[in-house]
Amino acid sequence: MLIINCPYCGPRDQSEFSNGGEAHVKRPDGSKEIGDREWGEYVFIRANPKGLFYERWVHTHGCRKWFNCVRDTSTDEILVTYKLDEKKPNLNNFKSVVKTPSGEPEVGSGNFTVEK
Amino acid sequence: MKSINLKENQFIQFHQKISFKFDGVKYFGYKGDTIASAILRNNVNLVGRSFKYHRPRGIYTCGIEEPNALVQIISEYSEPNTRATIKKIYEGMEIESQNRWPSLENDFGSINNLFSPIFTAGFYYKTFMGPHKKFWKNLYEPLIRRAAGLGKPPKDFKGISNHIHHNVDVTIIGGGLNGLLAAKSFINSNYDVLLIDFEEQLGGIINNSNKISLIDNKEPKDWLKETIQEIEDSKNIKILKNTLVTTYNYINHLIAIEDRFVGSKPIEGKVNSTLHKIRTGHTILCNGHIERFLSFQNNDLPGIMLSSSFEKYMCRYGLAPSKEPVIFSNNSNSNSLVYSLIKAGLKPKAYIDSRSGEEIEPNLFDLIRKNDVPLYTNSQIKGAFGNKKIEKILVEDSSGALNEIKCDCLCLSGGINPDVHLFTQSKGLLDWDEKDLTYKPSKPFQPTITLGSASGQFNFDNLNSDINEKLKTFKVKKLDVKLELNTNAKYNIEKLWEVSPQKKSLWAKSFIDLQNDVTTKDIRQAITEGFDRIEHLKRYTTNSMGTDQGKISSINALGIVSDLLDKKVNEVGTTIYRPPYAPLSFSAIAGRNCYEFYDPERKSPIHNWHLKNGAIFEDVGQWKRPWYFQINKDESMHDAVQRESKNVRENAGILDGSTLGKIEIKGEDALEFMNLIYTNSFTKMKQGSARYALMLGEDGMVKDDGIICKISDQHFIATTTTGGAATVLGCMEEYAQTEWPNLKVFMNSITEQYATFNISGPKTREIMKKAFPNINFSNEEFPFMTFQFHEFNGVPIRILRASFTGELGYEIYIPSNSAPKIWDNIQSVGKEFGLAPYGTEAMHLLRAEKGYIIVGQDTDGSITPIDLGLSWMIGKSKKDFLGKRSLTRSDTIREDRKQLVGIIPSNKTDKLEEGQHIILDKEIKSPVPMLGHITSCYYSPTLGHDFALAVIKNGHSMIGTKAYASTSSMGTTGVDIVKPVFYDEGNKRLVS
Repeated sequence: MLIINCPYCGPRDQSEFSNGGEAHVKRPDGSKEIGDREWGEYVFIRANPKGLFYERWVHTHGCRKWFNCVRDTSTDEILVTYKLDEKKPNLNNFKSVVKTPSGEPEVGSGNFTVEK
Repeated sequence: MKSINLKENQFIQFHQKISFKFDGVKYFGYKGDTIASAILRNNVNLVGRSFKYHRPRGIYTCGIEEPNALVQIISEYSEPNTRATIKKIYEGMEIESQNRWPSLENDFGSINNLFSPIFTAGFYYKTFMGPHKKFWKNLYEPLIRRAAGLGKPPKDFKGISNHIHHNVDVTIIGGGLNGLLAAKSFINSNYDVLLIDFEEQLGGIINNSNKISLIDNKEPKDWLKETIQEIEDSKNIKILKNTLVTTYNYINHLIAIEDRFVGSKPIEGKVNSTLHKIRTGHTILCNGHIERFLSFQNNDLPGIMLSSSFEKYMCRYGLAPSKEPVIFSNNSNSNSLVYSLIKAGLKPKAYIDSRSGEEIEPNLFDLIRKNDVPLYTNSQIKGAFGNKKIEKILVEDSSGALNEIKCDCLCLSGGINPDVHLFTQSKGLLDWDEKDLTYKPSKPFQPTITLGSASGQFNFDNLNSDINEKLKTFKVKKLDVKLELNTNAKYNIEKLWEVSPQKKSLWAKSFIDLQNDVTTKDIRQAITEGFDRIEHLKRYTTNSMGTDQGKISSINALGIVSDLLDKKVNEVGTTIYRPPYAPLSFSAIAGRNCYEFYDPERKSPIHNWHLKNGAIFEDVGQWKRPWYFQINKDESMHDAVQRESKNVRENAGILDGSTLGKIEIKGEDALEFMNLIYTNSFTKMKQGSARYALMLGEDGMVKDDGIICKISDQHFIATTTTGGAATVLGCMEEYAQTEWPNLKVFMNSITEQYATFNISGPKTREIMKKAFPNINFSNEEFPFMTFQFHEFNGVPIRILRASFTGELGYEIYIPSNSAPKIWDNIQSVGKEFGLAPYGTEAMHLLRAEKGYIIVGQDTDGSITPIDLGLSWMIGKSKKDFLGKRSLTRSDTIREDRKQLVGIIPSNKTDKLEEGQHIILDKEIKSPVPMLGHITSCYYSPTLGHDFALAVIKNGHSMIGTKAYASTSSMGTTGVDIVKPVFYDEGNKRLVS
């Protein structure tokens, strides 16, 4: 179980939180004309990278606040959490792009126990 | 195998006798004995039958790694697959052997051994294919399941477990020499430390072997006592004994299981195990090593055991399983067994070593020579033979000559492995050590430290410097402990995985996995068939997939595979070690979250009245809702629902609607917010009026519905469906925070603060007048879809004129605490008008007659408001709301979307059923084009026949046509497609 650092409450067990998918996906302004493609991408298309990922979480069983984080999806390490109105951190600030236990390939589960 | 008792020690006292039963026969052991040591004391060799071939098996080890000696504890809720080598006996314990019929001695299944040449790897996959799919499920699988397997699952489960959370700086796993030394460094430091050991007594190798002669010039036993005392006295260290760490998760999260009844019978109703959930800053793994076995013909015979296990029985249990065992080894780890035997006045029958004379340690050489032990160097055991127990072995000596040695016990050592299970669970990486022939921890992935043999340090010479170096991140005392050893200090091993049998035979078996009956032949065959990746090979042969997870054999399998493939072991890799380290029972994991605590039950404030008045409940989410009310025990559900429905149409009914979600929305921008969340427009709505509203997802599909009451532009109260309350509140909060943070709006759940009664039926106005005499309920003063605040007997109430049944109706909102009183009052004044309670089933029937949908029943996340014929609810002039843009997506404007229609049987006496498919042809010719299905279906007492709601392709334009409803069980029924309103289409009753 992960520990997630809620920007409002501090570090808490993962079981208190819910995941909200990719962060920084802007909702198109409804008062303007929106093309099918633009709207479709907003509703249905999300990134799913192996490595660093901007992600939304909500402290469901706590302060009920939404916040953002950067998580390495290959290791589950949460590198930083920040409030919604804070600027998104530059991914280059974080040491490795794909850091995995065994330096595994960029795709695939790569559950290795011996260094490849 | 004839065992003898040695001297008493601190763990076993010979005057404390304990009786227990094994397979119905009464035996005696001593307090402190495990089942295995007690059984060995009684000279019982045969304890179980193997998984597949039903071969006789005995006790192979003296610890958690045991593959063979699994037993069923009859006296503890029939707990199956218990390791006899760790479970302690107590007075009156009843144990049974497993996987045998009719008896352990004469097992019918052992016939499998005769047919074993055909039961090779993949036998079941290849053989049980035809002639029809049904054969597997109905014939093969039940037969195979009966013949194979381990213990029987218990029928009853009464074990209670507690969960305890720990939050510490350092967790030391393993209380052996290194664990104690690590703990010693932390004495009186500023760190919170948890020291966990699986056994009842700390000490590990100090207790289990004679390897160490002096520690700090003291007897090891005395040093141990002092050190444990010091650790126990230290306020910052907590010791958990009888506790096994099974799981090592991310962020140093450990799960450990503590047995609370070691050596005594669990008391019913008492907590018998504790699950510790530990979050720690650092984990120090001192969990030691596990000895490997070796593969040769019949290496599974009872009487064969690991050499360190033999020594552990001697040191720990004061028991030598045999007076003169033969020892077969390829490494120096078994030296101390020779030493221990001779010290106890016993003598090995022979010492066989695959290493050459030069490689064997000089002091072992001397010991063997001095005591006239027959020594075979450069030799191997070709096979072991005997009937249900080992009787003789065949040794090939350095000259290649074969020697037969009669013996009753054989001790094996194939080398030792660091116990890397937990380390790899933590995602740490291993590296193959070509010299010590084993995988050792290399790169930790988390703050994990490994010490001692768990880190691959098989020698004691760097003990102090290693611990001091690895613990230097902590501000702790430096260690300076002096060790003196009885035997050699340097670990030495020669490569040997398998000895091929003397005679080639289809029946010759060299096991590589004892628990799952996998032979080295199976491994060869799997590789020949192309399963040469280690993960594939494991699954194809089931190697190391037993409850022991191949603890004594998995590395041997890697060695054999690497030789066969001519690859380095590092290239072969290992299979993934997954939690748990050893099986733990489901009851331990469940803890107290079972039975009534599994999921909380939510009850309305009127629940007790329902209980007293014949309510039958249904679960709606966590809520208990009255489904229907029985007027007497004989009334069927159908009759009750018909009666309740009819009464609402003719007189009046009352429904407890307290479970409906209620959300209060307040704030300067509440109006704008509501306009964005719901499809409807609330701008022109008058204060004090209410509106039926829909909420969509961004994909345009109906997510929830409810009634919105507008108190003012800054204050709304919304109701939601019972099941959707949390989701709707969550969705509102999400959009308020993430998309429209500029809006000043706040929302809060008031579901449990208010009870809701829905009263409806033609006589409702009379009842309301009598129940609330000071309120004017006339149509002019209190029109449809308006609400008013009142006070009744000092209780603030809100009355909303709305209806879900199609009859004149009111909803009363009352603070929960005052609700039962008002409910009782309405019941008594309503009696003369025929008021009766009705449940959710009648409510569903009544609303369906009006064509009112239930979100989640008539919709399934793929239905838009337009599909439901509810376009009038969409505030088209609004610039934006949730899902608005999706209503004009290419997919949502398709003409052949599934749309809501009504269905009635063409022949009114025909029956319909929920879930029936609507098709166009009476004749069924597959593939049948499916138009859609029936979502709700009831028999209407008002109409006198069945009717249904359905979603079918292009349904709106099919109204007025005919189709068929079909299920395989009921055949096809002719139906008419009609408008989804069956009753009072003009809403006259509603607004009367």
